[in-house]
Amino acid sequence: MLKVEGLNAGYGSVNILWDISFTLEDGEIVAVLGSNGAGKTTMVRAVTGMLKPSSGSVVFNGEELAKKNSRVILNKGIVQVPEGRQLFTDMTVLENLQMGAFNKETKAHFQENLKKAYEWFPKLEERAKQAAGTLSGGEQQMVAVARAIIGEPRLLILDEPSLGLAPNIVDDILKVASTLARNDGLSVLLVEQDITKALASADRGYVIENGHIALEGTAKELQANEHVKKAYLGI
Amino acid sequence: MDMFLQACVNGLLMGGFYSLMGMGQNIIFGVMKIVNFCHGEMLMVGMYLTFILYTFFGIDPYLAVPIVAVTMFCIGSVIQHTLITPSLGTKSFTNLLFLTVGLGLLLSNGALVIFGSEYRSIRTAYSQTYIQLGPVTMALPRLISFGVLIVVTVALFAFLKYTTIGKQIRAVSQNPTGAEVVGIDVKKIYILTYGLGVALAGTAGALLTQFYTIFPTAGASFGFRALIVVVVGGLGSIPGAFFAGIFLGLLETMSALFISPSYSDLIVFMTFIVILVVRQTMIARRK
Repeated sequence: MLKVEGLNAGYGSVNILWDISFTLEDGEIVAVLGSNGAGKTTMVRAVTGMLKPSSGSVVFNGEELAKKNSRVILNKGIVQVPEGRQLFTDMTVLENLQMGAFNKETKAHFQENLKKAYEWFPKLEERAKQAAGTLSGGEQQMVAVARAIIGEPRLLILDEPSLGLAPNIVDDILKVASTLARNDGLSVLLVEQDITKALASADRGYVIENGHIALEGTAKELQANEHVKKAYLGI
Repeated sequence: MDMFLQACVNGLLMGGFYSLMGMGQNIIFGVMKIVNFCHGEMLMVGMYLTFILYTFFGIDPYLAVPIVAVTMFCIGSVIQHTLITPSLGTKSFTNLLFLTVGLGLLLSNGALVIFGSEYRSIRTAYSQTYIQLGPVTMALPRLISFGVLIVVTVALFAFLKYTTIGKQIRAVSQNPTGAEVVGIDVKKIYILTYGLGVALAGTAGALLTQFYTIFPTAGASFGFRALIVVVVGGLGSIPGAFFAGIFLGLLETMSALFISPSYSDLIVFMTFIVILVVRQTMIARRK
């Protein structure tokens, strides 16, 4: 459903991504792995239109989306949970979730999607009237994920969900993502530094190093790969 | 005691204008992180618009308020779309400083060319009507203006709190990246915000016309006071601006009463400097 080919992107005259290509099928969870500064977040920004790629193509369900603006891409169903969550900290949890319903369709389905989101994360219902900034890091990450789910994604991009969170919360969030992928046919692009966790939930993975795709394979293959073991798992 | 009460009321009535100006400035600052240096001139344009509507069309200054507000909203939106949004892309604060200061000069000198330097005023049938409330006397227009200011303020709070656009404005001001992530049209919000801020300044201008003289640089002192209100009330905070405006109005009349009317500006700016220094020291200590 998503086919990225030869993607180059960067900031100003500095190129960060070099010829990135990868694919993602319906209902599949694909991990994009790499250390800090490898270009993972730049890749997310280029795919979601927040950064205009200098060249390459992003085809989603047969439609070319490279160089389209971020709202058009969001409307096609590519929704991200951004790095650092990017919540509206002085607004209530409920208001934050309302902001996730961005077009007519998602606004019409808001109440049922909200109910679904509360089922996934019951804590958020208790905290609905509380300012998002007063929540713990884990709860804030739940708000970010719930906000994305309310946007009715067909492709959900999770950018560094593990950043600064307790392991059990990360597990909860990854469990929600895999359940959505298995049951609703949602595709998930899991961008992570924590390779062990990511490969435990993903079907396949790509490893980015210095803005290039260095390796790709099924989760099992990558877990067994000598380079991955040495460079990332410290085995 | 009677003098004190009278000064309180006068301060409150004037403070409402500073609040309105400060809130307009603060919405703009909150969303775009720019200071609108032509905010006072926008108030002046609102005054002249009201003056034109009254003199040539016989429209009562209070009935003119919605017309002025809508017109100013349109003017502000066009300025945002054609001038400010393109300059925001450069991320250069100096550009925007020159742009808004320049716009202010253009507007006040434009008014000078069109209307001349004479002081103008609007005198309606009820301009000189006074209302006695116990020991306190109030000019009817000041009272009506204050009532309208309160309604506008409440409407503004409700708009920002409950409407989708209002929530989007708050979202952009709190986290522009997050706003882009959830698909808020940030440029549209910029246009609405600047239009809204300018409309608030124009409304203040229209409400002032019956007891304040209209001249090309009439907005300057209000522009300065809007900046004080924003700094004292907290950058980007709308309730902060409201209370800071009232505080500023009271401070002016109190210093006029207890010290001397000729020192009231001095006191206002001294207080401003003291607040800045104290706050800076507090911030430095916290670090």
